[in-house]
This record gives sequence, structure tokens and C-alpha cells, in this order.
Amino acid sequence: MVTLDVRPQLLDALSALRDRVAAARFPLPLAGAPRARANRDELLAQLDDYLVPRLKQPDAPMLVVVGGSTGAGKSTLVNSLVGQRVSEAGVLRPTTRTPVLVCHPEDHHWFSGMRVLPRLTRVWAPHQESADDLLLPGEDGRHVLRIETADTLPPGLALLDAPDIDSLVADNRVLAAELICAADIWVMVTTAARYADAVPWHLLRTAKEYDAMLVTVLDRVPHQVVSEVSRQYGALLTKAGLGDVPRFTVPELPESAWGGGLLPATAVAPLRNWLVHHVQDPGSRRHALARTAQGVLDSLKARMPELAGAAASQHAAALRLTSAVDTAYDTEYTRVRGRLQSGAVLAGDALKRWRAFPLDCTAGELLDALTESLGALLLCAVTAADERVDDAWRREPAADAPELTDRDASPESTEHRIGLAVRRWRRELEEYAEDEVRGLERGVAPDPESVAALVATALLGGRRARSAGEGLAERIGAHGALRLRDRAGRLLTEHLDRVLQTERERRLAPLDGLEVHPEPQAELIAALSVLQKER
Amino acid sequence: MTAVTDQDHTDNDHMNNDHMNNDHADHDQTDSGRIDNDRKNSKDSTDSSSGTGENPEAGEQEQTRAQDRVGAEDGGTAEKSAKVPARLPVRNSAKEPREQEAAVHARVSDADGVTAPRTAAGTGPHAPSRREPGSEPGTEPGADTGADAGAEPGTDSDGAWDDGLIARRVSEASAAEQAAVMETRIGGGGGSTLPSTPLTYDAPLRSRLDALRELVGLSRARLDSRTLAEAGRVLDEAAARRRLSGQHTVVAIAGATGSGKSQLFNALAGVNISETGVRRPTTSAPIACSWSDGASTLIDRLGIPGRLRRRPVQSQDAEAQLRGLVLIDLPDHDSAAVQHREQVDRVLALVDAVIWVVDPEKYADAILHERYLRPMAGHAEIMFIVLNQVDRLPGEAAELVLDDLRRLLDEDGVALGEYGEPGATVLALSALTGDGIGELREVLGQFVTERGAAARRIAADVDAAAWRLRPVYATGRRTGLSEEARDEFADCLADAVGATAAGEAAERAWLRNAGRACGTPWLRLWRWQQDRRDPPTGRLPLRAPADEEATARQRVEQAVRTVSERASAGLPMPWAQAVREAAVRGAGGLPEALDQLAARAGLPPGRPPRPGWWPVAVLAQACMTLLQVVGGLWLLGQIVGVLAPNLGVPVLLMVTGIIGGPLVEWSCRLAARGPARRYGQDAERRLREAAAGCGRARVLDPVAAELLRYREVREQYGRVTGVGAAAR
Repeated sequence: MVTLDVRPQLLDALSALRDRVAAARFPLPLAGAPRARANRDELLAQLDDYLVPRLKQPDAPMLVVVGGSTGAGKSTLVNSLVGQRVSEAGVLRPTTRTPVLVCHPEDHHWFSGMRVLPRLTRVWAPHQESADDLLLPGEDGRHVLRIETADTLPPGLALLDAPDIDSLVADNRVLAAELICAADIWVMVTTAARYADAVPWHLLRTAKEYDAMLVTVLDRVPHQVVSEVSRQYGALLTKAGLGDVPRFTVPELPESAWGGGLLPATAVAPLRNWLVHHVQDPGSRRHALARTAQGVLDSLKARMPELAGAAASQHAAALRLTSAVDTAYDTEYTRVRGRLQSGAVLAGDALKRWRAFPLDCTAGELLDALTESLGALLLCAVTAADERVDDAWRREPAADAPELTDRDASPESTEHRIGLAVRRWRRELEEYAEDEVRGLERGVAPDPESVAALVATALLGGRRARSAGEGLAERIGAHGALRLRDRAGRLLTEHLDRVLQTERERRLAPLDGLEVHPEPQAELIAALSVLQKER
Repeated sequence: MTAVTDQDHTDNDHMNNDHMNNDHADHDQTDSGRIDNDRKNSKDSTDSSSGTGENPEAGEQEQTRAQDRVGAEDGGTAEKSAKVPARLPVRNSAKEPREQEAAVHARVSDADGVTAPRTAAGTGPHAPSRREPGSEPGTEPGADTGADAGAEPGTDSDGAWDDGLIARRVSEASAAEQAAVMETRIGGGGGSTLPSTPLTYDAPLRSRLDALRELVGLSRARLDSRTLAEAGRVLDEAAARRRLSGQHTVVAIAGATGSGKSQLFNALAGVNISETGVRRPTTSAPIACSWSDGASTLIDRLGIPGRLRRRPVQSQDAEAQLRGLVLIDLPDHDSAAVQHREQVDRVLALVDAVIWVVDPEKYADAILHERYLRPMAGHAEIMFIVLNQVDRLPGEAAELVLDDLRRLLDEDGVALGEYGEPGATVLALSALTGDGIGELREVLGQFVTERGAAARRIAADVDAAAWRLRPVYATGRRTGLSEEARDEFADCLADAVGATAAGEAAERAWLRNAGRACGTPWLRLWRWQQDRRDPPTGRLPLRAPADEEATARQRVEQAVRTVSERASAGLPMPWAQAVREAAVRGAGGLPEALDQLAARAGLPPGRPPRPGWWPVAVLAQACMTLLQVVGGLWLLGQIVGVLAPNLGVPVLLMVTGIIGGPLVEWSCRLAARGPARRYGQDAERRLREAAAGCGRARVLDPVAAELLRYREVREQYGRVTGVGAAAR
């Protein structure tokens, strides 16, 4: 006999676990991410809607959720159990779009607050008028829950008519799953035509997995075939390992079919008696509550590691993406260094200018050409790195996240940023040259701009600009030339590093914005083990 | 016994005879009656159309010869065996429709047990079943008499049944196919002696299929085989279906478990051939029921074993109405038995039409709509949606449910065939009570008689495949390399070789030389001194004769990247990748080529050429200097007293010299400006053009070729989607 003794430590551990689950995010579109997201939502809903409130208040009325496929006659069944029309039934599918909760007037306060199902807005409008307006979720996208009271129900029992689990309206399906997870007793309704359908069987298997208190109702069975269908269904249940599940058969009756009135009390009497017995007999009640709650607690053992695994694979994917960016930029950085060493900047226009200097070309023009050439080299490196990153990311499913794909960084703005950086480098170089020249005697002091041009050429021109170094030495002395070259070289390295670093960070910014960290995995597992210890 | 045939078919005939003979025992009874009629019809047809035939006489002789030979071999059965193959070769010829028609007549009368002349059969009650696809319902009698062996030969070739076109189109590919057709039919037909003419597609569909084949061929190098698999499957299915009977329409009954598929199947067949029951799921393997012979190859294709093939109850009326129908009862698609769903998916891909059976309980199931109806929305024309079990609904509820079903179908994107528009047919019926079965039978009969379902199915398949391929062929954006992008690329390459700088340097060098040449001697003296004082950096000609790597690598790389980016903008991914690869491949040796080119096209080393007027300027400058000297000497002479004092003239001479020298220099500089600019521009242009030419040859041309290939493929794709094809 399972019993439910709840210590405050357990509740604390549970709410800590709930917070961890709520904090878990799966933003990268990996293969398992949608599943993980759904699992997380489902688990969160089950914790919020069912487990925590139930453990906190074991005396609250039992919630019985009636679920099943579209057209299985759920609403008719609920109406018949209550004895009056509380939920709309009809021939048009799907019929029930707003879940309806029915309870005894004394129990109303349990459900009017946000104790259970906190995500659903309550409405008390009489159903006759509200049927049309409440077909859709409320304007703010929230679902609504209609609460009805009926004194024909025994106190301590609440029936919830859920939407169909295989609805064409995807929202309804999600809602139905959420509602079923909030139940103390799951009532699965199926029909003579449907009992072999795949979808309800998935639900039954889930119920088995969670070890929930489960009841199945075989509805709308034509009376000629009652025994045969019932036997078939029983065989299927036994085969699925659900042979001990209470099974009720409701015949198809002419007055009830297709949106008519209520089934006669005799048709649903066994089910009703079973429910009433479980509500009113303390032993049965405790057993039912404990079984479902323990089932959910047990299921955490499998579900939490699953979530943790998904979180870990998210982090691994993020790491792969980051390392692809790092590799690309590192490679390009090495390449740029190599090119600078070999004097690739002093080529094309800059080389022509240098050949014409100083006869047919001013120092300013030479500096312009060099600056532009350096900018081109950096831009080339950055775009090449981006291309590498794109290549590597194309093979990664995780890179399809919308945050990562809509990059606004057009090459023009990169060009702009690099142009700014390079011009700043030039200005600082000219200042260095002026400093150096100022130290010389007035008579022999050369033009600072030409000194700057010569330094730049000597730095960027590699081997082919050896004569620039000589010219520099002639003008400001060997010592000064060496010092100036050193300073300018350090300046160049600094700017180069900064440009590539900035671009790399810009590339990584959206990925960082997704905040995929390694912590959630460990935290989820830790929360689970704390909970296990407290049980 | 005459028939139009070709020389090359004789071998085929001969080969086929053996098959036919083997099968004779089974079909003797049916054959004899048919052949009698057949002979009459064939004679009729050939007689009346001998004017339009290609070479009726030759054919006749050929046929006679064949007959003789066979007769000699087979003795007693000679006549029969000769007649049977006589029909076969005709299939390729322009006379096929008539032959076909005649054969149908023969069979009809045979079925009636009346071996009456053809005219009697033609006006018989089964006229609708013989209507050719595409012929108007109103012209039924006309079509019937049109079977009068082409009394108007024009109607044959003009009609949708334009086999003549096929015969003319028999080329290397389709000839092979044709041969395969014969083999399949004879080999797999199991001795079916029905005139199962292969299916033909109308011209737009044929051209779309051809375009799709071409498209797949063109894209194989660019797209991975997984992307093309669906299109390949459609092509295979289209070819496979084409080989099989065009007289039959394969209709599958699909639906959820417990919706009453088997019940409907039995109701249509009129006999209990598919097991029904309350045990779910009931039917676990597809069952076929054929209303006429000759469909065995079709059923073979569905993989339905012989023990699951049935015949409907023998009733003249029903048989006539549904002649050519092959009905398949499928397992459910929604039960927990997964292998059922697999079977349904497999068979649904192969049938010509589908009847979806839904019931009031399950008509809004997500699995039906999301998994089947939505993806198959394009196949609306070959879909029937039947609301079964209406007997379970009270009075007006049936209408409500039907309307709701229509609404759901509309939301799925399934076009509904209301008000005569093409689309899915929605019916309410009860297989249990027989309510509405008659209506379905009627609609189905008409549908089968039209014989257009197979072609429409293939067309819808092509549509779906094309739609799925859309992301890899079309983006809806403008593609191509704009003129600006090309110009910009050329500019970037010119920058990379330094054309602008070279031009400016050349211009300035020219100007400098002009100034030096035409300057006053004093100025030149001063400059010379200045030069001696300055450090010799950069000015001295100790440069390397040719720079290695004179081209800016990074600029070339960037230019190629930019241009390939622009060229591939708006292209679907695989093609953009191909364009990029072409550009990168072309850019492989580009910097080296530009290096060489710059060395060749650049200015020759040394001084720029000296124009003819420089000596004149130099002479003028010398004169001016001479005037200064003469004036100076004269003045000096007066001062010394050697010469008579005369201030005016020498001063004038000196002033002229002093002012004239700079004046000449200045005007020379003015005059030099134009030629200098021309010289510089010339140098720049030469470099620029050389670089642009090199870039075009190595990068732009391959990129353009790749773009052209894409455009070709895009056009082909347009043809597949039917946009570019003739309006249907």
C-alpha cells in the first residue's frame, strides 16, 4: 500500500526542481530540441498543475479528467455522470474546445483560485451564451477554463471535460495533454470504432509509464456487439500490460447518440459508482491519490535525465559553433600576419605609388594608398573568415536558429568599421612621426608626413621596401628610425588584433545571446538527486 | 484480314505468337467471338481510311505473309493465332484508336453474348463505357459512330486521344519503351486477351514529364540524389503506369479503421468479398476487385497477390456502369498496427484515384487531415471523400456534418468539385443501408469512363514533385550578374594591379620631363644642385627590374568574392554554391596572370617618349638665354667702354631674355599638360583593360556559364510546373 506522507523538505526540493525545469532553455534547433521543449513544458505543467498542489493539499477534491479522441462522446459522458447538461455535445467535430470543470458547489473554492491549472483563465459565464464566444483562446492567447457547479456530484469529486487528444486544432491537443496530466484519475474514453486507433494507445501507454490511476471507458458500443468488442478491447489492453485497468462499457443508445440528451443513469452507473467509491472511501481515495502522485515522482527519474541530456547536447552544439568561429578567425589571423610579413600590403596601387615616390608622388598619397591597401587586406581576412564560418555552420543543424541566420552585418558596415580602424592607425602613426621629428634639430628636420609614409612603407612592405628603411635612417638617424619602427609595429599589431577581435565578437554575439550554458545540465541532475534523497 | 503495320513489327509478332498460343486454351471461348467481330471491324477501319494510312498496301501484304507463316506452323489454330497478334502491332500505328474501339465493341458484344455485327454493338446500351477520354459527353453517339473506323480521320488526330502524335514521336527512347511495353504486357498479362491498350498522356503532360526528366538529368551534378529522389520516383511511376492499361482506372478505398471501407467495397462490388467486422482493425492487406479483364498487370504493380483478387457479382448493369474499374480495399491508416499504415502509403502512391471513407465520428481526426489530405491537396481531382454511416446520424445532422466536412477540406486546401469545377467529390452515404451508393456508383462510373484519372494523378504528382523541388530551383528573386557588378569587378582588378596610380605616375613623369626639358637653364642648374643635397632615397634607379607579386592578392580575392556573391544572389542554394565554386576555381591563377600582365602592359622602363616640339622649346629657351647673354655682354661692353653707350637696346634684349625664358617654360608646361594627361590615361587604360580582360576570361565567363546553366534549368523547371507550357 502506497501512502502519501509529505515532508516540507520534499516540497522544497520539488519547487527547486520546478525552478530548474522552468529555467531550462533549448534554443538551438537540434534534432531533439522540439521534443525536449515539449517534454519540458509538459513536465512543468504537470508539476504546476498537479504534483505541487496535490502534495501541498492532499485534502483537495479529486480531479477526474475525461479524455479521448474526437467524437468519442466525452461530453455526453460527463453530462450523464453529472446528470445535467454542463458541457456542450454535438455532431460537429471537434465539439469541446473550452474545457469544462464540474464540481460540487462546496468545492468551488478549490478551483476558482489559481491553485491548480494556473495557466488557465477561469470563466463562470453560463455556458448557453458563452458557447460561441469562448471557442477560441482568450484574446491574450490564454486558454480559458469554464467552471460549473452541480450538487448532483458528491463533494470531493471534480470532473473535467477535456478537448480531444487528436484534435485538428493543434492548440487543443496541447491543452488536452496538459489537462490530462493534471488529473488524479485519468478516464480514457474510446469507442467501438476507435479502440484500435494509434493515438489513444499512445496516451494509454503514457498513463502506464506514469503509473497514473487509469480508468477506460468503451463508449458507444452497439448492443449487438457489446460482448465481442469488449472482449477484443480487453485482449488489447492485456497485451499492452494494462489488463488490470478498470474497464467500463457504455452502449450506444438511440436517445443519446449525436448530441442528444443524457444517457440514462443506468448506463453510466458502474462508472459513477466506481468514482464515488474512490472519492468517499478514505482508503481507496488515499490509494488513488498516492498512486498517481508517486507515479509522477517516479517518472521524474527518467524525465529529468532526458532533459539534462538535451541541455547537454545544446551546450555541445553551441560549443561546436563557437569553435568553428574561433578556428576560422584564428586561421585568418595567422594568414594576415603572414601576409603582412611578406609585404602583401605594398602591392598594386600602393606599390606603384611607392615606385613613384618621391618624384611623382607625395607622401600623403603614398600613405593613402598604403592605408587603403591595409584596409583591403583586413576586409579580405574578415570576409574570408565569415565565409569559413558559414561553411562550417552549414553542416551544423544548430546553426539554423533564426537568431543566428538573420545577421544584419552587411559587408558594407564591416568595411566601414575596418576603414575607421585603419584611418585611426594612420593618424596615430603620423603623431608618432611628428614626435620623432620634433626631437631633431630644426635645420635638418624632414617633413613628418614623408617620415610617416616611409615608416608605413617599411613596416608594411616587407622585403621589397628595404630602401624605405634606409631612407628613414638617413632622415632621422638609425636610432630614431629603429625606435619609430618598433613603436609603429606595435601599434599595427594592436590595431590588427583589435579589428579581428571585434569582428569575431560580432559574429559570436548572437550565439552568446542565446545563452546556452553548461550549468542547466548539472543543475537539473542535482535537483533530481536532492529530490530523490528527500523521498 | 488487314491491318496497318510496319516492317519492323513482324519480328515482334512472330515472337509474340508463341505466348499467345500458349494461352489459347484458356481463352478459346472468348476469343472466337471476338475475333469474328474483330475481323469485321478491322476491315472496316482499314477500308475507310486507306487514303490516310501510311502504306496500307504494304501493311496488308506484310500481315498476309505473317499469317501464312503462322498458319503453316500452327495448323489447326492458325486462324486464331494469326488474328490475335494481328492486333498487337497495330498499337504503334496511327490506327490504334480505331483498332482499340473496334476491339471494345467486340468485347462488349461478346459479354452480351450477342455476336452481332458491330453496328448493333455500337448502338447498344454500353455506349458510355466506350467513350474515349476527352470526348464530350454530348457527343457520345458521335463518338460511337466515330468508331465507325474513322469515317472522319480528322477527329482521331484532333481528339485528345492523339496517338498519331505518339507514333510519330517514337524515337530512340520511346521505341525502347514501346518494346518494353509489349514484353510486359505479353509476359505479365497472364494471357489476358483484353485489348489493354497502354495508357497515353496528353501532350502537355508528356512535355512536362519530358521536362522533368531533362531537369533531373541536368541537375544531377548539382543536387544530391535525395532531393531528386521524389522526382525520379514520379518519373518511374509515370513510365510504369504508362506501360499498363489505359482502359482501367485503379481506385483505392482508404480511411480510418471502423469507418466502413470494406463495407463500402462490398456494397460497390455487390458481393461480400472483403471481410467486415467489429474487430479492429479488420482488413490487414489490400484486396483488389476488377470489373473487367486485363487489369492483372495493374494489380501486379500494387503487389496484391492472386489470392486477394476478386470479381464483382455478375450483373450486367453494374458491370457496364463500372467497366474498367479496379477497386482496392485498403487497410486502415490510423490503427495501432503500423504495418497497415505502411501498406496504405505504398499503395496510395500507385493508384489512379482514392475514395476516402470517413464517418461522423472520425471525420475530423488530425491524422487523416494532417497526414493525408493536406499533403494530397493537389490531387483533389482524383479524390472522392465519402461520409459513410449517415444512418447513424439523425435527420438534419447529416447535412451539418457534411458541411463541416466540406469546411475542413477547404481548410486543408482540397479543392471541392462543386458547381462543375474540377476538384474532389464529397458524398454522404450509408454502406449499411445502401443510401447514396447509387450516386457514388454513378459518379464513379462516369469517372472511370472518362479514363483520365491516371493522367490526372500523374499530373498532380508532377505538380507535387515540382512544388517540393521549388526551393532548389526558384527563389522568386532576380538573378544574374548586373552590368554594374561587372564594372565594379573590373575596377577592383584595376585597383589590384594599380592602374590609377600607374597612370598618375606616368602623367607626372611626363610633365616632369617636359618641365625639365623646357625649363630655363638656370632653373635646371638649381635643381641639379638641390638633388645633390637631398638623400637619394627612392629616386635612384636601384629598383628591382620586375617586382614579383606586384598585384595585390587580397584585393583580387575580395573582388572575386564580391562578384561571386553578387552573381549568386537570388540563386537557390546549390546553384549559388556552384557559381561560387566556379568563381573560386577561375580565380585560382588570377593574381599570377595579372602579375605577368601588369609587367607586359605596363609602361616600358626608362624615360617617356619625347615629343617633336621639345627641341623647338629647347631652342627657344636657348635663344632666350642667348638674348640674356648678348644683352648682358653688350651692357658689360658699354660699362667697360668697349662699345658705344646705348642703354636701350641691350636692356631690351636682356629683359626680353629674362622674361621670355620663364614665359617659354610656362607656355611649355601649359602645352605639355594635355599630352601628359593623354599619356597617363593611356597607361592607365592599357593596364585596366588588360586586367579586366583577364578577369573576364578567368572569372566572369565561367560564372556567366554557370548562370546560364541555372537559367536553362530554371526554364526547364518552369516547363515542369506547366507555366511555360501551352495553356492546358
